[in-house]
Amino acid sequence: MINYQYDGTFPGFLSAVFEVWDRDRFPARIVPPEVAPGLFEETLEVKTADDHADRVWKGIAKAGGKQLCQRFMHVFLSRAPEAEDLMLFILKQLFDSKKNIAGDLSVEAVLKFTQLERKVLREVHRLYMFLRFEQTADGIWFAPVSPKYDVLPMTLNHFKSRFSDQAWLIYDTVRKYGYYYDIKVVEEITIDNPAFEKETGSLPTEAQSEDEQQWQEMWRSYFKHIAIRERANPRLQRQFMPKRFWKHLTEKR
Amino acid sequence: MHSAPFTQPLAPRLLFTAMDKLEKLKILASAAKYDVSCATSGSQRENTGGLGSAVSAGICHSFADDGRCISLLKVLFTNHCIYDCAYCANRRNNDIPRAAFTPEELVDITINFYRRNYIEGLFLSSGVMRNPDYTMARLTKVIKDLRLVHRFNGYIHLKAIPGADDALIREAGLYADRMSVNIEIPSEENLKYLAPEKDYGSVLHPMHLINETQQEYLPVRRYSKPAPKFVPAGQSTQLIIGATPDSDNQVLRLASNLYNENRLKRVYYSGYIHTNTSDSRLPALVAPPLKRENRLYQADWLMRFYEFKVDEIVDDAHPDLDLELDPKLAYALRHPELFPVDIQQADLHTLLRVPGIGPKSARLILSARRYGHVSSYLLKKMGVVMKRARFFITCRALAGRKAPDYQPDHLRMMFLDKSARKLTPDAVQLKLF
Ligand code: SF4
Repeated sequence: MINYQYDGTFPGFLSAVFEVWDRDRFPARIVPPEVAPGLFEETLEVKTADDHADRVWKGIAKAGGKQLCQRFMHVFLSRAPEAEDLMLFILKQLFDSKKNIAGDLSVEAVLKFTQLERKVLREVHRLYMFLRFEQTADGIWFAPVSPKYDVLPMTLNHFKSRFSDQAWLIYDTVRKYGYYYDIKVVEEITIDNPAFEKETGSLPTEAQSEDEQQWQEMWRSYFKHIAIRERANPRLQRQFMPKRFWKHLTEKR
Repeated sequence: MHSAPFTQPLAPRLLFTAMDKLEKLKILASAAKYDVSCATSGSQRENTGGLGSAVSAGICHSFADDGRCISLLKVLFTNHCIYDCAYCANRRNNDIPRAAFTPEELVDITINFYRRNYIEGLFLSSGVMRNPDYTMARLTKVIKDLRLVHRFNGYIHLKAIPGADDALIREAGLYADRMSVNIEIPSEENLKYLAPEKDYGSVLHPMHLINETQQEYLPVRRYSKPAPKFVPAGQSTQLIIGATPDSDNQVLRLASNLYNENRLKRVYYSGYIHTNTSDSRLPALVAPPLKRENRLYQADWLMRFYEFKVDEIVDDAHPDLDLELDPKLAYALRHPELFPVDIQQADLHTLLRVPGIGPKSARLILSARRYGHVSSYLLKKMGVVMKRARFFITCRALAGRKAPDYQPDHLRMMFLDKSARKLTPDAVQLKLF
């Protein structure tokens, strides 16, 4: 068994795929940096090379279509320990046997692959649901998030088209980077000395726009009054809206 | 009952306008909370400059303390009402705080909530103020301003006010994604008893009108792409459950008709909550009939997604759903002759009848079996609830007795035990006491 150890990025993973076929030595495994290889296993460190990654990406698209590329990216983002193995398994069929098995759910690896993808897409959807903007004193709409997977980039089109006429900044407080949209383009940014609370992302009152507090109060009040007391069901509420999101929710903070 | 005096003193004009948005919101959100629908699906509005977009899958933004999804700002324009329907908290003769928004206030709140990603849009309903036409015109002004002045592309669900002029309803439909008229009471006879000023005709008329107008707009849209849309997400209605002696047979038959004839997108069922305690025409329920409501939703799903006909769920011999058993399981137990079905052979329609198999897993089975045998292990992985399904299917490597081998009563008991562990709120309570 040869371990191809990559740097943990998606281009890094694709570069490792490139190496696997380039050296043509099997059986192979692709492993992320945090995995310590077994005592008697050979480990090769893969350097991330954009042109290699690009060739693999195009290779997948050619053999299985653009959508399959996307699916690999989604599964990659799950960071599940078995993700690399599943992806390599499907790629082997795709490149060596010229068979796209990604739709064949009777294969257990494919089923798992599909389930991982679903988890990631669900997290994307949850950002659409639970992200909350507040308006800052300089008029920018700020939203802190902390998704389970690194899916913020996947949400940008949605927020860009929905909030196209307001400048916004969405910041991942766990991975410490975000995106700023100035009504024209979206740019990746990092913030060194944030004015907001590091974990929850809440803004101090003086950093908020003049009427921000009033609107938040309105929302909290609406939230309270729309519930039917006779049907209170905190369990159901937590099931649909897991606690890990509450720190960013205006109505639950 | 009808000679009861107005208990509500008329608020001095000044005081009334001085009430701030927050106070109004509290009153008018509370007054709207019994309307259960929250769907925001079925409409795709691209952002063509301006604010917002409706995505066809719909998005929930929060979940209230009762566990219900919050996706729209659901409010009444006003809770003043000239009518006196017995089951309604806003009825004329109730002594409650009253309020009315101005169109500007409501537009302002909608936009500000939307910009913060609190909501998908607006669900606007209303009591009847002065007369139906006046009320309908106010409602239309709100959504017209949202669309035309503020270029708002979010989702709008608007109530049509029965009795309003056809032209007003047709205009409103140009700006709404969905419209609804609530029937509320599942039989005309009981509606007239509880709301003497109403009848089915007045409720069904706007429903027909919306349906017809939709059909008129369809061919236009086929020929020119950016043609105006008319209620693109369709209509819905709501039925109150448990305020009247109407049976599930009555309720589901009405729903089935509405789906088939008026092309309704959704029928909602709302367990009656005993708010107007002084009215002797209404049953004094200690708690809303949540279990029955849940069973009705399950039956409704069977009609919409499982190709069930209403007669297969309820009939004169079984006018009410079994509260202890989900209706699909109840159907399977009444029809042992249909089972077990062969996973490798059965068509979609038949697979959908197997307890434990849902529309998603049924389709997964169809696509997976093209590649070979579908094992029980795989079925489990696909999300089939094997604890149920195993009695009703045959597939490779799945031994055991099948439904027809059991006494029907025995099988029923087996499933009762298991479903009692499920988290229906009243089941939990039963366990506690
Ligand atoms: S018309 Fe509507 S708001 Fe008025 S009392 Fe009847 S149900 Fe209530």
